Amino acid sequence: MSRLDVTNISKTFGGVRAVDNLSFSVDASSIVGIIGPNGAGKTTVFNLVTGVYEADSGQILLNGRDLRGLPQHEITRSGVARTFQNIRLFKGLSVLENVMTAADPHSTYNILDVLTLSRRKRQREKQVKELSRDFLNIVGLSHLENEKPENLPYGLQRKLEIARALATNPKVLLLDEPAAGLNPSEVRDFIDLVQRLHSDYKFSILVIEHRMEVIMTLCSHIYVLTFGKLLASGTPSEIQNNKEVLEAYIGEEDASCCI
Amino acid sequence: MDYIISILTFSGITLVGVLGAYLVTGLTGLFSFGQAAFLAVGAYSSAVLVTNYGVSFPVAVVIAMLLGLIAGLIVGVPTVRLRRDYISLVTFGFGEAIIAILNNSANLTGGAMGLSGIPQYTTFPVVLISVAVCLTIVVSYKYSKYGRQCLALRSDELAAKSMGINVNRLKLTTFLLASVITSYAGVLFAFYTSYVEPGAFGWVVSAEWLIIVFVGGINSLTGTVISALLLTSLPELLRFASEWRIFIYCAIVLVIINYRPTGIFGEYEFSWRSLKRIAARGGKAV
Repeated sequence: MSRLDVTNISKTFGGVRAVDNLSFSVDASSIVGIIGPNGAGKTTVFNLVTGVYEADSGQILLNGRDLRGLPQHEITRSGVARTFQNIRLFKGLSVLENVMTAADPHSTYNILDVLTLSRRKRQREKQVKELSRDFLNIVGLSHLENEKPENLPYGLQRKLEIARALATNPKVLLLDEPAAGLNPSEVRDFIDLVQRLHSDYKFSILVIEHRMEVIMTLCSHIYVLTFGKLLASGTPSEIQNNKEVLEAYIGEEDASCCI
Repeated sequence: MDYIISILTFSGITLVGVLGAYLVTGLTGLFSFGQAAFLAVGAYSSAVLVTNYGVSFPVAVVIAMLLGLIAGLIVGVPTVRLRRDYISLVTFGFGEAIIAILNNSANLTGGAMGLSGIPQYTTFPVVLISVAVCLTIVVSYKYSKYGRQCLALRSDELAAKSMGINVNRLKLTTFLLASVITSYAGVLFAFYTSYVEPGAFGWVVSAEWLIIVFVGGINSLTGTVISALLLTSLPELLRFASEWRIFIYCAIVLVIINYRPTGIFGEYEFSWRSLKRIAARGGKAV
């Protein structure tokens, strides 16, 4: 059985069918891509899986457990982590604290430990700090742990979002256009990072991306969406040679355009 | 000297109350326009228990804090689900409702006449210890998973949820802690002034506390503490200016908010390390 199994989910906003009877699956420790033109419903799919919106119908199974209808924080705790298309880091917290915040829901100390300054709290705080430093180290931000996230350059903010997602201890990591706004060398750097994380942590990755370089190098399987519907799915080479996909992206070939 | 001590005592009591406002508004970003109502709950319940029913002071303190907790639950449970702007409306309504109840249950609370003859148990050392304990608790809260999650939630609620934070529960926890701390400040208040009347707990007091939090720096506990001490003693220090003092007070607050929209301290937090860093930077500049 695959790790994440999505069957026949739909979501309408008013009269718009943003996601229409979509099914896909992500195998354990595989990298799967979702591509499609703007407005195809890719991010909505992420929002449905992570519980930002509840799907109107269908099933979202993580290791066989249905996530549909669970509150967002419980979905995250059961192992679905994500990054955001428009970076959403916590202002007012340092880089290190941003990562710690994601690890905090796994801390078991309670309010009494806080009021009595108990040892359990202090030990766990130290533990979380070290754990978070490790995650910063992995993405290469450990020298910036006391900075404010809004002062970091864009590429590093993206990395911080990934470190933060790692700290939630995910089984499936959803990356929403992680390479948007990165320059070519940063993109290559990013591809290396994802491959490294993937082989170290063995989680499944579901990635939305417009940069074909990223999708074609990383993914073993690709789903193509248009207007909320599945247009095609297959291996990178199958998708690259799929005529319907090319049409959806760049339109039909017109003889007058050929020089 | 007595005069200075009395100003300091009063500032200390206000500070304890403001710490509650800081937790809810500064740390979590929920506008509580009824924080002073918890002051009323603490003050009245302890005063009535001691003067009318002869309950011993320590027991009355515990009961007053428990009642603060219950009042916090009554307002908190339904409001934490609301959007931020509605929270301020509900807490405002709650605050005024408490005042109305105090005014209208005259046989128990003395109504608009107030309640007098409360023994003066709150001395300067008591206030000093209370401030130290409450401050330690709030600092410990800020530098725990709760404090970080509160700041995360204030910055971006959606992202906070998708990091696995149970947002409603966190808001409620913070709100309850703030209610208990503020009710305790109410006890200190009642047993210091030895007279309580409903007018002392209206929305004006809540608003004043919000001003204190904002002037100090919305994110900074250091700022809240300093501006609480400063702004409570300021009207007393300005006594020489008689009828002009409220005007001067307002002018000072307006100037600060205009030129430093993030408050005096912004996000700065006092610590020995940051003090050293500033000293080192100053040394280099020279």
